[in-house]
Amino acid sequence: MYDVAVIGGGLLGCAVAYHLARAGTRVVLLEKDELNRHASGQNAGSLHFQLEYRMVADGDAAAERAARALPLHLDAQRAWAGLAAELDAPVEVVQHGGLMLAETADELDRLRRKASLERRHGLDVTVLTGAELTSLAPYLAAGVRGAAYAPGEGKANPRLVTLAYARAASRLGADLRTGTRVTALTREAGGWRLTTTPTAAGRGARTDGVRAAAVVLAAGVWTAELAAMADVRLPVVPVALSMTATAPTTPFLPHLVQHVGRRLSMKQTSDGNVLIGGGSPAKFRAVDGRIDLETAPELRYESLVGNADAARVVPAVLRLPVLRCWSGATTLTPDQLPVLGPLPRRPGLYAATGGSAFTLGPTYARLLAETLLTGEPSLPIDAYSPARFGFLNAV
Amino acid sequence: MHDVAVVGAGPAGLAAVDVLASHGARVLVVDEQPRAGGQIHRQPPATFAAATVPAGRALLAVAERADVDWWWRTAGWGVFGGHAGLDDFAGSTPADRADGDGPMRLAVHGPDGARTVRPRAVLLTAGAYDLPVPFPGWTLPGVLTAGGVQVFVKSAHLLPGRRFVLAGAHPLLLVVAAQLVAAGAEVAEVLLVRRPRAGALLRMLPAAAGNTGKLREGGHALAVLRRAGVPVRFGTRVVRADAGPDGELAAVVLAAPDGTHRTVPADVLALGYGFVPSTDLARQAGCAVRYDPAAGGWVVTHDRWQRSSVPRVSVAGEITGVAGAEQAVAEGRLAALGLLADLGLVPAPRIGRLARPVRRDLRRRRRFATALAAAFPPPAPAPADDETVLCRCEEVTAGTVRAALRANPHLRTANGVKLLTRTGMGLCQGRSCQPAVCALIAAETGRSVAEVGPYTARPPIRPIPLGTLAGGDP
Repeated sequence: MYDVAVIGGGLLGCAVAYHLARAGTRVVLLEKDELNRHASGQNAGSLHFQLEYRMVADGDAAAERAARALPLHLDAQRAWAGLAAELDAPVEVVQHGGLMLAETADELDRLRRKASLERRHGLDVTVLTGAELTSLAPYLAAGVRGAAYAPGEGKANPRLVTLAYARAASRLGADLRTGTRVTALTREAGGWRLTTTPTAAGRGARTDGVRAAAVVLAAGVWTAELAAMADVRLPVVPVALSMTATAPTTPFLPHLVQHVGRRLSMKQTSDGNVLIGGGSPAKFRAVDGRIDLETAPELRYESLVGNADAARVVPAVLRLPVLRCWSGATTLTPDQLPVLGPLPRRPGLYAATGGSAFTLGPTYARLLAETLLTGEPSLPIDAYSPARFGFLNAV
Repeated sequence: MHDVAVVGAGPAGLAAVDVLASHGARVLVVDEQPRAGGQIHRQPPATFAAATVPAGRALLAVAERADVDWWWRTAGWGVFGGHAGLDDFAGSTPADRADGDGPMRLAVHGPDGARTVRPRAVLLTAGAYDLPVPFPGWTLPGVLTAGGVQVFVKSAHLLPGRRFVLAGAHPLLLVVAAQLVAAGAEVAEVLLVRRPRAGALLRMLPAAAGNTGKLREGGHALAVLRRAGVPVRFGTRVVRADAGPDGELAAVVLAAPDGTHRTVPADVLALGYGFVPSTDLARQAGCAVRYDPAAGGWVVTHDRWQRSSVPRVSVAGEITGVAGAEQAVAEGRLAALGLLADLGLVPAPRIGRLARPVRRDLRRRRRFATALAAAFPPPAPAPADDETVLCRCEEVTAGTVRAALRANPHLRTANGVKLLTRTGMGLCQGRSCQPAVCALIAAETGRSVAEVGPYTARPPIRPIPLGTLAGGDP
């Protein structure tokens, strides 16, 4: 009998396991594949604390709603800064600031409204234009009219972060089981029974299942199907994305670059590669007409072109060789806020997923662990409660 | 508009083109090289007009066909839309296509930049490359593949050094050594890790009917080496390659079967451990592969018409298993016949008749290839020292991979190790390090290479300038 079973071996799951184990909780983590093999390891490692393009693209009301997550952004900005020391592992966090670009007068206007909204929530962000912008970011194309600058933004290495959490959790006694798929969640006296089945990725995978007083669903795009095992409908939506990596080059791009008018994120890694992403879509494979989450989404040629086009705002990348493009899937919710906290009417069952779960992952994980341990997270998380989707669930 | 785009103008591709075009199919051929022939029939530049390419001259003549579009110096770097998926509403809708275009796109990059074509079917005939076997010093200048040395000699008429040592496991070494001797090079010795298995050699004899060309080539090479006094040693392996003061290869340290070491001065070490099927584009397209060590590693699976698991993507030649040019030719013909039927260009009964002699030929070739593979099995990879570089693009050592596996005991797959250590993330996309890394992971985790899996192949399978993608198709 464990105190907590965490389902999902991505950043969130491993981080929740770490925080729980550190508090002396007996915790088991169940992952159907290897650790870090899905969204946590496939994203491009942006630490973006400004509201993203997708949050400000649909008018002020939607932006206001998305801004309700800004307290988490502020917390995450601090959390990343201390993460390498906390986990005693390299995670390549660099916070040299981020720029969100505007190329048209309309975009510049949107940028100003966005910045004022963010400042009301306490985010340090300034709109720069002209010589001020050029001197900060001489690599930008002449067509860039302005940029919102947030000095706390940056990047982390998604290849390293999740495994750093996993090793720390393991050192603290967490039991990490990979190649173990959960196939049923059953409420029983004093907690939950998790039926499991080993998969090809299995290491020490066992078939005897797991019993735990509490269960955390931190399974990204699979969170909905896990919640359904407990007869709860969660509106989490898988979104397939594509990323592009160039060959390494000498450092020239210290900032995270985003765009307020289209899908773009760009940064240069510590190895010198430029990563381009930010939302160019990929296409889910379909099996028998239904989306198949088990296979990597198919890359679309248009998305490769789209990533390359978006990069025109930083002309230096146009001459770099493209090394590879890859796809991944992220998890969004209809109101773009995370799903974080206990599931109503399911004692001991918690969920943690939703947009920006890499950037905000360390914060989501700590707040959820605090909720489990004390019932009192250090920041209020009611606004992100799965209970806001209670209308979807009759029982 | 093309019925078939053929990727790779080696023996399999040329044979297929001949059949396809002769039956009226509109064919596009893309190849990274400036001329037809692939690795096996690599042609000298036109300035070496006197040079002869004895084998495959008829095949090379196919590349003169004016009814075929030939795009040289052009890499096929991605196949998009090959899977039966949901309709793609964002740019690849049927309305965008010219009449008769398929849903699938082949992305290519050539002298005019990047573009896509929409053939009705794709035939992948990408061939094979030399199996890299890492050991200390294998990245030194002067350490080359036997295939690479052969390219120098055959295509540029150049000797890449003065004193050669050839080492490995593949009988091609004997042929390359003889070519070097004929070109006036000093060949210090030829080393094969293992003596060919006598029983397997005997079994080759009956399988050799119709394959006598290859046996003759081997026999001729041995005679040349004997006359030139070049020692051919079995059971000797390379321990390491040492650099001279100029940082280039100066000597090769060898281990005899009894374990004693000796040092042989040389400025070129040519390695020939066997060949690895070039499956990257096929894997990127989503074609199913299986692990077949005797056939060179991961090979693309196919049905009896050489059709891969992806609709309208066929495969022929070494990417279905390393078996030599003759088998590649037979597979190319068969694939072409299958496509002619599938595309409705030739009635199926007629295709059936045309395929019969090709299948007979193919059976004979496969028997011989199987026997040859059994006689010269690829070496069981020796565990690399911690200091040995496995991924030369990203400079990842065997020690780094071992340390990653120890620190993260859940890691089980080539993709997992790639993500953490960057091995295989460089310019070559893992072509160079994949065999050794997979073998190391398998050895360290006690699993089979088949379970460890290949790296996921990602587009572009060859680097292309980002600027050529921006702006979309011309």
